[in-house]
Order: sequence, then C-alpha cells, then structure tokens
Amino acid sequence: MGAAHVLTGVDCSLYVLEGRTPEAVVFPGSVEEVAALVALAGEEGIPVMPLGGGTNLGIGAPPARLGLVLGLKRLARLLEHEPGDLTATAEAGLTVGALQAELGKRGQWLSLDPPGAERATLGGVLASNASGPRRHLYGTARDLLIGLTVVGADGAIVRGGGKVVKNVAGYDLPKLYIGSFGTLGIIVEATVKLRPRPDVDRLVVARFHDVKEAGGAARAIMASDLVPAALDLVAGEAVRLLGPGGEAGAALLIGVDGILDQVEWQCAEIGRLLAPLGLAETRVLDGPPRDLAWRALGEIGRGGTEDVAAVMKWGVLPAQLAEMLDKGAAIAQRNGLRAALTAHAGVGIATAVLAGDGAHGNAVVATLTEWRAMVGGAGGHALVEWAPLAVKERVAVWDDPGPAARIMNGIKARLDPRGILNPGRFVGGI
Amino acid sequence: MPPVTEGAKKSLRREMEALLGPGAVLTDPDELLVYESDGLTLFRALADFVVFPTTAEQVSALVKLANREGLPFVARGAGTGLSGGCLPAEGGLVISLMRMNRVLEVDYDNQIAIVEPGLVNLHLSWAVGPQGFYYAPDPSSQQACTIGGNIANNSGGPHTLKYGVTTNHVLGLEVVLPDGEIMWLGGKTRDPQGYDLVGLFVGSEGTFGIATKIAVRILKKPQAVKTVLAVFDEIDQASEAVSAIIGRGLIPAAMEMIDQITIGAVEDAFGCGYPRDAAAALLIELDGLAAGMDAQAERVIQACRDSGAREVRVARDEAERQGLWRGRKSAFGAYGRVSPAYMVMDGVIPRTKLPYVLRRVNEIVAAYGLRVGNVFHAGDGNLHPNILYDPRKPGEEANVVAAGGEILKVCAEVGGSISGEHGIGLEKADYMPLIFSEADLLCMRRVKEAFNPTGRCNPGKIFPTRKACVEVGPAYRPHPIEEEGLAQRF
Repeated sequence: MGAAHVLTGVDCSLYVLEGRTPEAVVFPGSVEEVAALVALAGEEGIPVMPLGGGTNLGIGAPPARLGLVLGLKRLARLLEHEPGDLTATAEAGLTVGALQAELGKRGQWLSLDPPGAERATLGGVLASNASGPRRHLYGTARDLLIGLTVVGADGAIVRGGGKVVKNVAGYDLPKLYIGSFGTLGIIVEATVKLRPRPDVDRLVVARFHDVKEAGGAARAIMASDLVPAALDLVAGEAVRLLGPGGEAGAALLIGVDGILDQVEWQCAEIGRLLAPLGLAETRVLDGPPRDLAWRALGEIGRGGTEDVAAVMKWGVLPAQLAEMLDKGAAIAQRNGLRAALTAHAGVGIATAVLAGDGAHGNAVVATLTEWRAMVGGAGGHALVEWAPLAVKERVAVWDDPGPAARIMNGIKARLDPRGILNPGRFVGGI
Repeated sequence: MPPVTEGAKKSLRREMEALLGPGAVLTDPDELLVYESDGLTLFRALADFVVFPTTAEQVSALVKLANREGLPFVARGAGTGLSGGCLPAEGGLVISLMRMNRVLEVDYDNQIAIVEPGLVNLHLSWAVGPQGFYYAPDPSSQQACTIGGNIANNSGGPHTLKYGVTTNHVLGLEVVLPDGEIMWLGGKTRDPQGYDLVGLFVGSEGTFGIATKIAVRILKKPQAVKTVLAVFDEIDQASEAVSAIIGRGLIPAAMEMIDQITIGAVEDAFGCGYPRDAAAALLIELDGLAAGMDAQAERVIQACRDSGAREVRVARDEAERQGLWRGRKSAFGAYGRVSPAYMVMDGVIPRTKLPYVLRRVNEIVAAYGLRVGNVFHAGDGNLHPNILYDPRKPGEEANVVAAGGEILKVCAEVGGSISGEHGIGLEKADYMPLIFSEADLLCMRRVKEAFNPTGRCNPGKIFPTRKACVEVGPAYRPHPIEEEGLAQRF
C-alpha cells in the first residue's frame, strides 16, 4: 500500500473518536488492498472501523477499542455511468457532491440529498442510511441502491444485487448493508438508480404562527393532489436560520420540481391551499437562495452554525409530528434549554437539536431521556445522533432493539464471527 | 426425508384439526394434488398436509408442530408464482394463507394500510380506492395473487418503472419465524433502528419465515393519466424509443413492449385494435399532475417519432386507455391461439442492451426450431420471452428449457439478472452461479442461517445444490386459475 498511506502513533491523533485514538489509520488504494487489510486485521483480532467523509461519525456508542481506521478516500472513482440505463457505479469513497457533479454533466442525478454532501461519501451515506428533504418523493438509499460490493470480515469480496434496476435473484443483500454502520462489511463499490435532473426546481418557504398550524398545513398538502419533492417542517430555534420573517414560529419548506408547467401550477396551488390555514407569508426561492436555504436546514446540529449540545433523530407517524415537535420544544424549555426542530413532515422523521451555549449536562441528559420516552410512548423510535462522550455515558445512543435483536445478533455472528467490524457501536451492542 | 407413515399422518391430522378447527386440514391425495404446482406447472411436488390457519398464533403453532415432527413447511398464497417457489419440495406442510385475507387497518392520514398475507393484491386497491388511494405494485396477476406472495417474491408489475417494486412499499411485517416465534420486523415508522430485516425478508421467497401482518404504504391516485401506443416496423426502433424517452428526461409510469407474434395472438383472441403488421408496439403511460401532462406526452410522442414510429396514438378517454391495456394484459391468455403451450422466461438487462438482446433471444429460440413471443416491461429492461411449443412433440420441452438457459446466459453476459420478478425458486436455483460467485452465495447462506438454521422453512429453493424430491416435467398444463381466466402470468 505504501508508507504514505499508513498513519501510526501521533499522526493518528487527528482521528480520535469518542476519546479513543486509533492504533493505525490506513488509506487503501484498491478493493484488493481493502480485502487484504481486513483479512490481516481478522487474523490479528484488531477491530476495523471504516471511514468515509466523517459526517456521521458521531452516530454510535463509544467503541471499546479503536483499532484500525480504514479510510476510503482513495477509492473515489466513478466507474460507470450509462445515462440510457439511468444507473451508475462508483467507488465508496467518492463524495456525493463529486458524484452529483459528474452525473449532472449528463443531465442526471442520484436523488438523495444528505446533508454535508461535499464531504459525505457514497459508502458513508449508505452505511449510515443518510437522507435529506427530497426523500419525501424520491425515497432513501433503500429505494435507490441496486447493487453493492463489500469486503466481508474474512476479507472476501462479496457482491449483492446487480446493475439492473429490477432484480429479485437471491436475497436482497444491498438492503442489509444500508444503515449497518460498517458492522457487517466494508462497502467498497455501489450501483445506484438515477433520475433525470428536473427542468425546474423551486423551494416554497411558507411561514406560520406556530407548529400546530404548520403541521396542519403539511397534512393538507399530503391529502391534496400536490406532488412535492420535499416537505419539511421547521420549528423553534431553527426558524431563525431561514432569515428574518416577523413573528413566525414555524415554517414549511416545500420543494417542487419537474417541468415548468408543473412547478408553476404547484407553487400557485400551494398558496391557494395554505391561505386559509394560517399562512403568514410565502416566498418562492430558486437558484442560489434555494440552495442556501436547504443547506442551512441540513446543517442544523452539524456544528458550523451554532454550538450544539446534542442531536436526536426521531421516527414517528407523520400525523404525530406537529404534536411531538410542540411537546419536544416544551420539554427542552422546562429543562432550561433551547431546541431547534426540523422534520421531514411526510415521512415522520425529525431532527431535534439542543443548543449548546452553557447547556448543563444534567439538563441535556434529562431532555434526551424525556424525548425518548415521549417518542417511544407514541410508538416511534429515537436515536442520539450526536452528543458529547459524557452525555453518551448516561443516555443510550440506540433504543432497545426488542425481540428482533435475536435475528440481528445472529446475522452479525455469522458474517463477522470474530467481531472485528466496527464492534460495539451499533444497536444492541453489535 | 422419510415419508410420513399413515398412522403418524392420522394422528398429526387430528392434532392440526384441534388447532385449526374442522375443514382446515387436507390430507386426501386428490385434494393435495391442487397444491402440487404453482403457475409454473413444469415442477410438481406433493405435500403431506395442506393447512388453512386464520391467525398468526395458529401459523406459529403449526410451525412449532412441524419442527417437533422434523417436517418441512412452506407458505402458499394464491399459487400464481412462476418459479416453483411455494412447492413443498421435500413434502411436509403447505401452510395456505388464503383464509387470512382481511384489510386490518387503513390509516389515510399516514397513508398506511395493515393487511393480512392472503389478501388479493387488487383487493387492497379496491378497499382504499373510494378514498382516492391505491396500492402501487401491480403484478399482472394482481386479480389473483396475494400480498403475502408479493412479499415472498418482491413482486413488480408494469407500473414499477416509476413507483418501484414491493420492497419500496413495505414498512413493517409481523412474521412467524422458522422456529415459530412471532415478532414484528420494522413497523409503521420509517428508518427503524438496526439492520433492515424488512428489506431482507421481502424477496426471501418464503425461506425466512411467514409474514402474517403486512404494513404497506398506500399512495394518492395521480391526478391525471395519459396512455400512448407507438407502432414500429422494426423491433430495434421500438427498443431505441425506450432509451430515447428516458434520454429526454422522462420516467413514464409504465413502458411495455409487445412484439408481432404477441400482437397477432392478442388480435386473434380479443381484437384490441393493435396493427397486426407491426413488428412491435410500445405502450407508454404517463401519470401525475394534470398540469404539464400534455407537454410531457408531446415529448414522448416526439421521441417515438424520432426513433422511427410509423404511428403514435394517444388514448382519448378511459375506455380507449382500457382497450390499449387489455391488449397488453391479455397477451398470456391469447398465446393459446397461436401455440398449444408456452414457457415464460424472466430476465433483466440494462435497457440500452435491448436491441442486441432481443436479436439474440430470437436467434437462440430459432436455432431450436421454436418461436418466441415477447411482451415485457421494456422501461426497466425486464424481459419476458415466451417460448411457444407443442408438449406432445417429443423433445420439444427439453429444447425449451435449454433455450431458456441460453437466454439467461445472455442476460448475465450483458450485466443483467436471471430474474426480475418471478424469483429463483426451484426453476432457477442452478442458474444462480451465472451471476453470483461462491463468496456471494456463501454470504446469502449465512444470512439464511440466521433466520432459518434448520432449513425446514421452504427447503430446496434459491441455492444451487438440489436434493429436493421434485418431479420435473414432462408436460405443460394450464394452471387451474389460468383456465378459469382469473389471472395473467405477469
């Protein structure tokens, strides 16, 4: 692999995670090198943690031991793009931003818009099942990934799925690796479905007095003939990021794309539909202002814009969202904290961010615990996406996996019997 | 697997009847015969018992009983499968889910329905239709096939080009695992934590357990639909039109191709108004917002004309639209007009390889002295060559199977897959090495062991070592439901 691609000793300090320093950091240059490294680590019993752009590295329990960090940044080629097939195959270390730029040259895109796309790699996005606002219409990795290559715990190169958009031959292994956080294999290549880039792409920012009204408006859109690409609900401190807007306490960000006639009809129809539902103000954004607004939303809780105390992801039913956001904000307030709340309103996925400046650890722990109880009580799930180590020591990162843990543990035990692949960070201690 | 003795059978039957009540257990050989095949009548295997539970608890009790007795078991829906996937390859129990056919809950606010596995696919769309909703996956057998069977096979259909296949619409499953434990995988909310066990279960062809409740997404019906028929004098032109439409930035809801032999059969049988002298026709459907629909249709029409279409028709109303679709959907019933029997193949290729692969399919079949009719999901490259033959001619069925194998090899060579929607089942288990390595298959086997360590849950399927006591051939017979005109093949 060459000494230039191996870091040891003090050079590893840049890669400290949850207070642990890796024993070595390596950057293999080929799938075969990845396989050889994993096989070697397996023989030596050294844990291996794959590393993409590091944008979702905060998700997971603190590792017991950080052995080999296996960086995939040198595996960054777009291997195939056949526009007529609407498919592309790329190496895992390619950033989503670079992939989109390449695909865009031929009028197509991967319809996945995770935050931090300039840094986030394809492999990392798949391993962490990252998604963005446009999942409302276009789905998540599980709807777009059609084939992948992984290096298994024994160093074997395994392929699942294929390169065609429809395929039921054998088990759907690509699904297994999405969101598996490197615990079953190192994703090295992926084949994805693409879409033509829309002619027009606009963002309607609709402001409301409070979350209840905004939530009602989101439900009205869901029940209408409208087909938005994105439907995000923004509440609490997050509303400020959208710029000055009077006294609005909540907003809906509605993405509409397609051909011009469709987009214009949808923008007009949104105005008509929402006018009697408490709409305070609407703006239609295009071009850089649109991109800036989406980016600001995606970056909430990712450093950059403000000091963050903790980030939690909730999964609830779409119709419960407004109530959850309202109650969640009240819980934070009772604990003396400020919360920025955003949600993909059509699918019921929320990101709740606790503002940092001066937040006391006990208050953060209390808020996260109450949030988890609230979401769990409504039949949903809660994940601590980021928190300082001191908080993680007191609040579980993952929910209790319940009876299905038996199957998950069985899969892990069979695919990684020595437990070397990113051990201890995942659900149920996997 | 030693055969179950008559004495043991009697006592087990009594035990099962005590669990399920009267009229829910079949052991009479004449009655069992109905369950010896699925829609692919080439394979046959006889069960010892066919049972009809009505609750998850009953399914669990049956599975536990089968485990206690060391008997294999397999779930069965409507039996419209096309790969032998629900055959009791090693005897034992066939667990029919046809009496678990209720829509349990519809939550229109959250656009979710919870159904039982024996519910007929189309009946879900009927149930939610009055509220303006539908269930998107639409296999051509949707009048007969069940949602549980769709889960097993990850079924597709014409409209999956835009809307995706079954797995893209399933949120959660209550399953009876192969050891009898009942548990939920996933649920109503998105992004459940842990491994995507729902994604694994869907398409596992009944080898991971038996789904007893299914939470699916239901979609709002589109505001507008536009259906176009484009007629071509050369098959290559039709293939090129498929890529040209995609190239213009459009993803139609469906894009189906019908070739000359098939058009002839359809016209003989039903007179749907397709031109008999055309080499191929493309049926293209757009759906979505009414605004902009005409502009999109214009792009489609132009792409077809630029590819050499001699005629492009747009359905003017719902009756005309239904007429055009009848031509597509009645193709399988119509082959009887031009051939005593046919074998349907299922392969997938990158859509840009359509012209080459269709030529190769015709060459391969002709080399065996046979004819082939093509009617398939051109938009997603999912081929369905139907090899026409006469089962009374000695050796012809063997030629069909050989030609089918060669077609699958071509699909694999161009980077495709050996099944787009029918599954591997018994039929294609030995072809798996065409597209998967030993390491790939080993990984799949290990995943299977995590769910099904004893292998008793639907043995003999998917993997290429075959020790099943399955009778192969000789003759094609129409499946009973096909004879009744209840179902199309795909």
